[in-house]
Amino acid sequence: MRRSHWRLVSPPPPAGSRAAIGASFDTQQSTALFLTRATFGPTQSDIQSLTGTSPSDWVLAEFNKPATLNLDFVLSELQRTSSCAADGGINCEVKQIPTFSFWINAVRADDQLRQRVAFALSQILVISSREPEALFEVPETVAHYQDVLVRNAFGNYRDLLEEVTYSPAMGDYLTYFQNAKADPSSARMPDENYAREIMQLFSIGLVQLEMDGDIVLQNGEAIETYTNRDVTELAKVFTGLSFKGGRFFFDYPTLPSDATYSPMQAYPEWHSDEAKTVLGTTIPAGTGPEESIDLALDALVNHPNTPPFISRQLIQRLVTGNPEPDYIQRVATAFADGAYTLPNGTVVGDGRRGDLSATVAAILFDPDAVDPSNRNDAQFGKVREPILRFTHWARTFSANSVTPVNSFPLWNTSDGGALAQAPYKSPSVFNFYRPGYIAPGTETGAVGLTMPELQLVNANTLSGYSNFMTYFIFGLATEQESGADASSFIPNYADELAFASDPEGLVNHLDLLVTYGLSTPETRTQIQSFIERIPLTDPNDPNYDGADLRVKMAVLMMMTSPDYLVQR
Amino acid sequence: MQTTRRTFLTGAGALSAASLAGFGSSLSAFQAHAANTGGYKALVCVFLLGGLDNYDTILPYDQSSYDAFAGIREPLLSQYNGIQGGSTRARNRLLPLSPSNASQFGSRQFAMPEELSGLKGLFDSQNAAIVGNVGPLIRPLNRTQYENDSVEQPKRLFSHNDQQATWMSSAPEGAQYGWGGRFADAALNSGANSGSRDFTTITSLGNELYLTGQEAQPYQIALNGAPTVDALDMFGESRGSSDGEARYQLLREHFEAMQFNSPNLIERDIANSMRTALSTNETFNTALQTLQPFSTSFGDSHLGRQLQAVANTIAIRDALTVNRQVFFVAVGGFDTHSGQVSTIPRMQRQIDESVVAFHQAMQELGLNEDVTLFTASDFGRTMIVNGDGTDHGWGGHHFVVGGAVQGGRIYGDIPPYTLGHDLDAGNGRLIPTTSVEQFAEPLGRWFGLTDAEIASALPNLGNFGGADLSFI
Repeated sequence: MRRSHWRLVSPPPPAGSRAAIGASFDTQQSTALFLTRATFGPTQSDIQSLTGTSPSDWVLAEFNKPATLNLDFVLSELQRTSSCAADGGINCEVKQIPTFSFWINAVRADDQLRQRVAFALSQILVISSREPEALFEVPETVAHYQDVLVRNAFGNYRDLLEEVTYSPAMGDYLTYFQNAKADPSSARMPDENYAREIMQLFSIGLVQLEMDGDIVLQNGEAIETYTNRDVTELAKVFTGLSFKGGRFFFDYPTLPSDATYSPMQAYPEWHSDEAKTVLGTTIPAGTGPEESIDLALDALVNHPNTPPFISRQLIQRLVTGNPEPDYIQRVATAFADGAYTLPNGTVVGDGRRGDLSATVAAILFDPDAVDPSNRNDAQFGKVREPILRFTHWARTFSANSVTPVNSFPLWNTSDGGALAQAPYKSPSVFNFYRPGYIAPGTETGAVGLTMPELQLVNANTLSGYSNFMTYFIFGLATEQESGADASSFIPNYADELAFASDPEGLVNHLDLLVTYGLSTPETRTQIQSFIERIPLTDPNDPNYDGADLRVKMAVLMMMTSPDYLVQR
Repeated sequence: MQTTRRTFLTGAGALSAASLAGFGSSLSAFQAHAANTGGYKALVCVFLLGGLDNYDTILPYDQSSYDAFAGIREPLLSQYNGIQGGSTRARNRLLPLSPSNASQFGSRQFAMPEELSGLKGLFDSQNAAIVGNVGPLIRPLNRTQYENDSVEQPKRLFSHNDQQATWMSSAPEGAQYGWGGRFADAALNSGANSGSRDFTTITSLGNELYLTGQEAQPYQIALNGAPTVDALDMFGESRGSSDGEARYQLLREHFEAMQFNSPNLIERDIANSMRTALSTNETFNTALQTLQPFSTSFGDSHLGRQLQAVANTIAIRDALTVNRQVFFVAVGGFDTHSGQVSTIPRMQRQIDESVVAFHQAMQELGLNEDVTLFTASDFGRTMIVNGDGTDHGWGGHHFVVGGAVQGGRIYGDIPPYTLGHDLDAGNGRLIPTTSVEQFAEPLGRWFGLTDAEIASALPNLGNFGGADLSFI
């Protein structure tokens, strides 16, 4: 149905022409695949050291690692830069510090699974510090929010939703910070923003779901989960919150110094004391703010939609864009039961509804995730998120000097000429792409597959991504920058250079590292044919380094191939 | 602190002045039973993301309506009193409208805020019309029917993404085709853009639903031209030798995924995008060499830059070999739950300056009669204030701009500025009296579509018995 039919790819080859691997640590390929889903990218040393060990043990170890947080880094950077002159230059950049912290932890932190899950949660429980959002101006508030997600990544969704609700970041972003109860004298009503989005996006969604994520139909029609009346009622619940330690309408100088990065405080006199009836639960008149919020959040997390609604999105972030109903049901059951038994027999989760360690384990070890035949399935997999492509490169090729402040292109990667995605900088509360996005005019769209990240793939972003990666893969900062900027995020290709005079070996080596052994023969041949034509020396140019050029081009071509851009 | 620095790598192709573009476009033969594709015509959708407050855009002006409005909106108006230079919503500061159909509204009068003075000027000169209380509907609906749920209603009312999708495609999130794309399909199927179909629907953003048809796929433009692939450009420098040429072609095949083959549909989708991206970008950049700079200044705002990119694309229409185009631009910031008085005036000024500049640019091209711009938005907002903002509504008031517009007139309806009336779905959320499809119908007719093509693009239009709004 696309224009330019003559350009369509030729009919599919018979299945089985590519390696079939499951998600275990049996082989280097399967280890790399598992780590692709569970980290910000497998490193060469992780692939080697973990192969032959137990993925259950690895996941349990990840659950027990201390959380690498953001706030201390951000506060110390704010302290350091506070002495900078106004024109202090790049090292005095303040407002991007939460983004720097994200990149550092994504690339370097040891608690990779936690960081990865927190990043997935940041795309469900969305705030944005994208300029000109007010949050751009308060890095410590953003860092506090990042830490809420990191700390609760293996915790409980109900607790997480509560911390999110009290976070000043969400309060500001969805405008219920200083939301006052109705004022009959002026016809003023409470702000409905958070009330609507916490239902639509953060918990139950718009329509009633089966446990397997299918839409419940009545006479062929979906049944909406809430009415606008529920929104106006729930809006009353989220009244009375403001910075801690002052007054509801405070004077900045009187606030405690940590107010902007502490949970908000409830001010009962500004909280609606009317009865609030939400989704059939009535919170009696006169109930105070904390208790009202508790009861409302209980109603949301106990709603039958929440397990499949949240589970489906987490599967989409980690494994596949259009999960099968059975897969959703198994994960949603782990979410609802709060428990999951790992392949080694260990039960994870404390048995409480909403346990995220059980949910994450259920996603990674699900039969659909590990079924080798899904490597060759026509509909399984997802577009790799652009941010994860970059972190994968940085981790795999040991980029040194992980100092994003010195790498200007990393400050804001949301432009289509960069990654078209930036951490904690979504264009709206609807994230960079929608979980229900079905790409119009595509083959996945023709069969109705949701494929969120395809929302970012087009003529503009394909070139933009390629150019962004070229800058880093080639280490162009060494030529274009000076001082510390010239040595930030510079890759180490020592292992790859060993294959420079063996193009086939180079391509096979990268195939394992970049596509866990799944790139197509056509792509490997294409890259090899090109690399072979790059001479190793140039008699007319003593500075020419053909080995270096071969390696960099091979990495770029691997990372811009459709084989890589889709994680299967 | 420096917040901007050097760009990395070379940017996209610079805009270079080059040969004069001829005005004689290749006219496709008119086909009696298909869309009229003669001459050049373009539609430009300006989508105001978040839900523009209708009450803060078209305000009441007669004393009695204004007083009722001011009573309900007091919390917001008192904040307007505090802005620098004083309230632009004070009645004596408003710009009263004198629509040619004023009598239709009896004693009720309307006004626009001074931030929209340019659009008001276009209204006065009959180059702009207002279409009141437009929004998604499946069938005509009154308040009783809404409250009893006795008449079919649009799905997922008041939800941003779903109402955006419904505006664009008559269906909530997950829809596959927008009416801009359907209009473009009709033109393509009737022989428009015979030179190249790739530039029929164009956006400054991403993969826009509004512009997607079965044939038409949106193409992304930027002010500085289409991006090129730096690595390919690097190897393009040594194409002089046969070795160099062979290398270049192999790399080009890679970036166009020419040899790629897989049963996986996701990979195939990406490969299909790669196959067209490079060459369409090159064709676009070549055509852009023919651009004659406008004397009109678009300013540097987000919307101004997008509309300048649209104007540039229209200016090179002959080089692109197109004669029917649909454009989509968008700007966010209208979801004013909070901080409305610091947001809306600034955003309205941006709309005003950008749209007026665009109109002038079309006059420069002599295409004033051939290009029609219109606004759209998720929904209107509540009349009730929530403190320092307003919440999600439904119907809203919109503008249609261009030389072909029967301007200076208010089409549709402007419901009362009170609460509890027959079109109030609660807190002043307006039940629309003109459906989006009724709003789209005259645009489609002007674009050249037949009745059958319009009915196919706008599936619920037949539920509204009334005559075409005829604003164009």
